[in-house]
Amino acid sequence: MTDPLTAVTPVAGANGPTGSIYDIGYRRYEGTRLGRGHAIRSLFFHSLRSSFGLGRGGRAKIAPIILGILALLPAVAIVAALTLFAQFGGGTEFSDQVPIRYDTYAGTISTIVVLFCAAQAPELFGRDQRFGVLALYFARALRRSDYALARIAGFIAALLILELVPQIILFLGRVLLTTDIPKAIGDDLESVAPVLAQSALAAGLFGGVSMVVSAFTPRRAYAVAGIIALFTIPNVVAGIVVGLGSSTIGTWLTLISPTSILDGTNAFLFDTRLDSDFFFVDLPGIAFVAAAGVGIVGSIAIAVRRFARIAT
Amino acid sequence: MSPDVASAAPDLARFPLLLRAAHIVAGRYACAVPLISIRNLTKRYGSSITALDGLSLDIEPGIVGLVGSNGAGKSTLLKILLGLIGATSGEATVLDLDVRTRGTDIRQRVGYMPEHDCLPPDATATDFVSHMALISGLPRTAARERTAEVLRHVGLYEERYRAIGGYSTGMKQRVKLAQALVHDPRLLLLDEPTNGLDPTGRDEMLELIHRIGVEFGIAIIVATHLLGEIERVGSHLVAIEGGRLLRSAPLGEFIEQTGTLAVEVDEGGAALAERLAADGLAVLVDGRAVLVDVADGRPYDLVRDAVADLGLPLVRIERRRHRLEDLFRDAPIDAPATPGLTSGSAAAGGPP
Repeated sequence: MTDPLTAVTPVAGANGPTGSIYDIGYRRYEGTRLGRGHAIRSLFFHSLRSSFGLGRGGRAKIAPIILGILALLPAVAIVAALTLFAQFGGGTEFSDQVPIRYDTYAGTISTIVVLFCAAQAPELFGRDQRFGVLALYFARALRRSDYALARIAGFIAALLILELVPQIILFLGRVLLTTDIPKAIGDDLESVAPVLAQSALAAGLFGGVSMVVSAFTPRRAYAVAGIIALFTIPNVVAGIVVGLGSSTIGTWLTLISPTSILDGTNAFLFDTRLDSDFFFVDLPGIAFVAAAGVGIVGSIAIAVRRFARIAT
Repeated sequence: MSPDVASAAPDLARFPLLLRAAHIVAGRYACAVPLISIRNLTKRYGSSITALDGLSLDIEPGIVGLVGSNGAGKSTLLKILLGLIGATSGEATVLDLDVRTRGTDIRQRVGYMPEHDCLPPDATATDFVSHMALISGLPRTAARERTAEVLRHVGLYEERYRAIGGYSTGMKQRVKLAQALVHDPRLLLLDEPTNGLDPTGRDEMLELIHRIGVEFGIAIIVATHLLGEIERVGSHLVAIEGGRLLRSAPLGEFIEQTGTLAVEVDEGGAALAERLAADGLAVLVDGRAVLVDVADGRPYDLVRDAVADLGLPLVRIERRRHRLEDLFRDAPIDAPATPGLTSGSAAAGGPP
């Protein structure tokens, strides 16, 4: 085996033609060694990037790019329409009537977010199990819980970006296209807190649930099916129970459905009424927020427990 | 503490001055703490499976072969040393850090190459190794520099921007080695590093391990079931079987001359054995060879006379050397024929 490093490499350097650099072979690392915190941060950002297919092959980027574009589409379309309307001399009356607003955006793209979860969450937890990479992580300064938490946090951060970036575009469009910009900012400012809260709850719940599913199987297909099932079946079950006549039980049963929970928190945070065709319309708003909190904390706890026990 | 000295130890007997120097160095290190110290380590899975059974052992820097058949407890021992799994009882320190309480600190100073596949196919070697460098605590710039350097050391410079999924087994093994080496560990734990390699790949991997141990000055423990590999790169050998220590000694002691004389004849082996036994020697027949115990100088003359008297076609007479395989063989040759391998010398050994 030849190694370029063991060969003497004469180089004409600053010392003139007689100077040469002799490769000394292996060099020790004497620099700083950052600890566990650095490892956790690195894994967090790695998870965030991987969620969008960055740092992986070209094929890994297809799904996140398509879903990312779909999530942006409503905001971009509305801003385009507002631009057209403004060019024809329209006022703000149009922008108040469009169906895509801060209080409807999370619901509008929730299907896309669910698909993003199904496509990307198994990539984070499943890959590490499938290819045995876990053994390498655990052989480093990371603790098992650090690993699980950093991965989940990275994925939730990715979902938060998916939720918030379109709404930032929406905000910029709404503000910049009016004549009275300061007033428009003032008007929209009151939506900032509910937008952030709703996006955080959605990212946390969707992210937590889909990560806990993918923590339990290295098989991508199972994880995808499991995630889709968890986001759709509870709703159906609750609907059936209501249809069978147990409307009270059925109504409370909606609190096991992540999508219904988020519809409820959205209505609560933006202080709007749920459409009357939702059968869980009468539940107290705070119940949805509590359910979301339980769902987030519970799923993270289960995932952490899973990785504390998994054999490598 | 110089690994050069440690790995060259078997040859040092020819250079008395160097040998003394080596003893001084080794002695100075021995005053400090051993690289790894294991006391009464036991690991049970459930109530039925005992992976390690009261293992006690000190390991000094160098290239140490940890040999044993599959299931002897090698991987379990490595994982306990990394603090990845807890021992049922007993204690162990690595770099003077207790494996039970300082696992995180140990893992920052140790590189680990697992036996099984552990590489994501869709990442490039550069991306993956530098990611692992970050997780090991290197700042971003340093991680990138060390990655390029280490990949070059393991001979993966040209291919480093290609996805690992397209690599050959040999290249994958090099990536696994690179990720264990990227944070400049003080100790490398390699679990079956030549697994799945063809003869050429195996030679290259062994050469690489030798270079890392001798030139890079990193202490290495190589777990393997292939004794021949340790013979080629190791300086010290730890043999375990069934979770117990079989022997720990410098490699040279394992392959030194035995007290057995092998007399090979083309025919008439049985007659020769009979005659030698009648002369009062401890004799065994092993294939075409007649094995004679040479506790004193007597057998040579008796063998000569016996062969001459019987008129046998003699092929060769030689002192047998231990082979590492003898360690694990279920004693087809009786104990008196191989006194060097009896349990008397199997105490937990230190440095040469």
